[in-house]
Amino acid sequence: MVSLAVVLLAVFAGGYLVLAGADVGVGMLLPWLGRGQRERRVVIASFAPFFLGNEVWLVVSAGLVAGAFPGLEHRLLADLYPVAGVLLFGWVVRDMGLWLRGRVDAAGWRAVCDGAVVAGSWALALAWAALLGSVLGGGGLNAGSVLGLPLAVLFAWHGAGFARLRLSGDAAVRAARGRGRFGVSGLVLVAVLLVAGVRVPWSQVVAQGGGLSLTAVSAAVLLPLLGASQALVWRTFWGRVDSPSYL
Amino acid sequence: MDPLVLARVQFALTAGSHFLFVALTLGLATLVALMQTRATLSGGAVHARMTRFWGQLYVVNYAVGIVTGLVMEFQFGLNWAGMSRLTGGVFGAPLALETIGAFFVESTFLGLWIFGWNRLNRWVHLGLIWVVTLTAYLSAYFVLVANGWMQRPVGYEVRDGAARLTDAGALLGNPTALLAFGHVLFGGLLTAGFFVAGVSGYHLLRRTAEVEFFRRSMRVGLVTVMAAVIPVVVVGGMQYQYLQPTKTGGDDAAAAVADFTARFGPGDYMAPGVARAGEAVMTGLWSLMLLLAVVALVKVWWGRWLVRGRVFHVVMVCAVPLPYVAMLAGWVFREVGRQPWMVYGVLRTRDALSPGVGSGTIAVSFAAFTALFAVLVGVNAWLLARVARRGPGGAVLGASPPVAPSSPAVSATF
Repeated sequence: MVSLAVVLLAVFAGGYLVLAGADVGVGMLLPWLGRGQRERRVVIASFAPFFLGNEVWLVVSAGLVAGAFPGLEHRLLADLYPVAGVLLFGWVVRDMGLWLRGRVDAAGWRAVCDGAVVAGSWALALAWAALLGSVLGGGGLNAGSVLGLPLAVLFAWHGAGFARLRLSGDAAVRAARGRGRFGVSGLVLVAVLLVAGVRVPWSQVVAQGGGLSLTAVSAAVLLPLLGASQALVWRTFWGRVDSPSYL
Repeated sequence: MDPLVLARVQFALTAGSHFLFVALTLGLATLVALMQTRATLSGGAVHARMTRFWGQLYVVNYAVGIVTGLVMEFQFGLNWAGMSRLTGGVFGAPLALETIGAFFVESTFLGLWIFGWNRLNRWVHLGLIWVVTLTAYLSAYFVLVANGWMQRPVGYEVRDGAARLTDAGALLGNPTALLAFGHVLFGGLLTAGFFVAGVSGYHLLRRTAEVEFFRRSMRVGLVTVMAAVIPVVVVGGMQYQYLQPTKTGGDDAAAAVADFTARFGPGDYMAPGVARAGEAVMTGLWSLMLLLAVVALVKVWWGRWLVRGRVFHVVMVCAVPLPYVAMLAGWVFREVGRQPWMVYGVLRTRDALSPGVGSGTIAVSFAAFTALFAVLVGVNAWLLARVARRGPGGAVLGASPPVAPSSPAVSATF
């Protein structure tokens, strides 16, 4: 049961890094990919239909940690308080920038929202880099928390790989300068996650009793359904974008 | 400042602002799903426009619900690590089920609904909003299973210093969870009913061009209020049989205090008085809402009566905050009334605080997130009012695909 829960956590956390990692990366590169406010809105449209369905992978990862590995919850959050705090803060700022940008037709409003998306995406990527670095360094705040920071570049590279597949025209040309390969950068992100995962003492952090089975079995049973709902999103919205969306 | 106080106030502010938006999300999603069903079945233009306008307000409202919910979920691990250490093995399970079995699908399908307008088959698109609505309810149920367990822990045993789940059925069927779910469900409908009626009242009062649109909407709002106002108090009242003795100070309170003193040492085990104040505000406002529902019962039968009557319109606009204040007061009654316990009779709130996290760290986090949420709640309340004021003509959600960028006629926002 413990192995099943670890595999499921790897699937969801890996899914988050590959899918949401791309939209975080595009957010980081927003000032370079989009020249002018209209073009930036099209850049946002490249991931807009996916971003809601992307961040839920992290929410489920957090749910799995709470249900199956309560011992890991405080190792990742309370023991890394500043890192987790920045991650959360950046996430909220970024999401609000995305949600609010298209709601008011004023240049100043859009500029503030663009700023929130870019700053929030960088904060999120840097916090993830510090978090992965901390786990790689053995847990708790350690040298890895700082040495891991360059890992944030992986998100930008991954975002460039995604953007060149989704954008068209000048923005696609600019995205291609990042020399991103969506598949390759995705694999690198998953590899970092797996190496970090090996450093976690799973048997010490696992839940005792029925909570573990309830969590792991439900997740395993529902995984095909969740995968199908995501596949429907990708099938519906895949293709190059050249016009703004709701966001 | 005392980190315990900061962490508690931070959680109260996060959960409180989260719930303000969640309540409307639950009720309004239901109404939007019903409107879209009617629009899909009848093909009527006014119903399609109602779906888009009220759907737009629903989506603006939903965004703040999500981000405050994220912070709430992570706050357990940040500030309340003592809780995950002792009770995480039980308390974490419903939170996990919420994310896997409800929120994942809700959010994914909501994305499909927002961005798939005019792209997907209309029956598929209708199915999406129903899935979003039902998973929103499922989500509320699981969160209330977690909260219900904090109120009345069941189906577990403590062994080797950690709680383990022994009876999943008892956890998931806990009456403090099921009744709270019913209470929240009707509370959400009541909120949405007053919201829809209030916005409609504003437009009818202003004599805007959309008389037909807002007459229908006013009726939807009033019918929802009438349908929800009695069940919400019935389910609410049923919860009293499970109230903790120390919450209201009944006959059993002395015995409970003696038991806690024997097990945990001396302390103040009676709930703070503000819990009773919350109860009084909640029930008082409910009486006011019942009065308005009775007025609605007279008015709703005649369309002309809904369009006229300026005093009635002003009253409905002013009534929009009533269910919000009542629900926050209800949560104060429930949660402050549980104190000094995090998990009643199992884990004291002060023992649940993260050890080793300095008061400076908590203070910085408190200041940062409080400021952020104040801005978010303010901006979104303003935005909701703005979208509501502009009326159905301004709804961007579900608008036809934007004109090609090269066209000179472009006036879309970007």
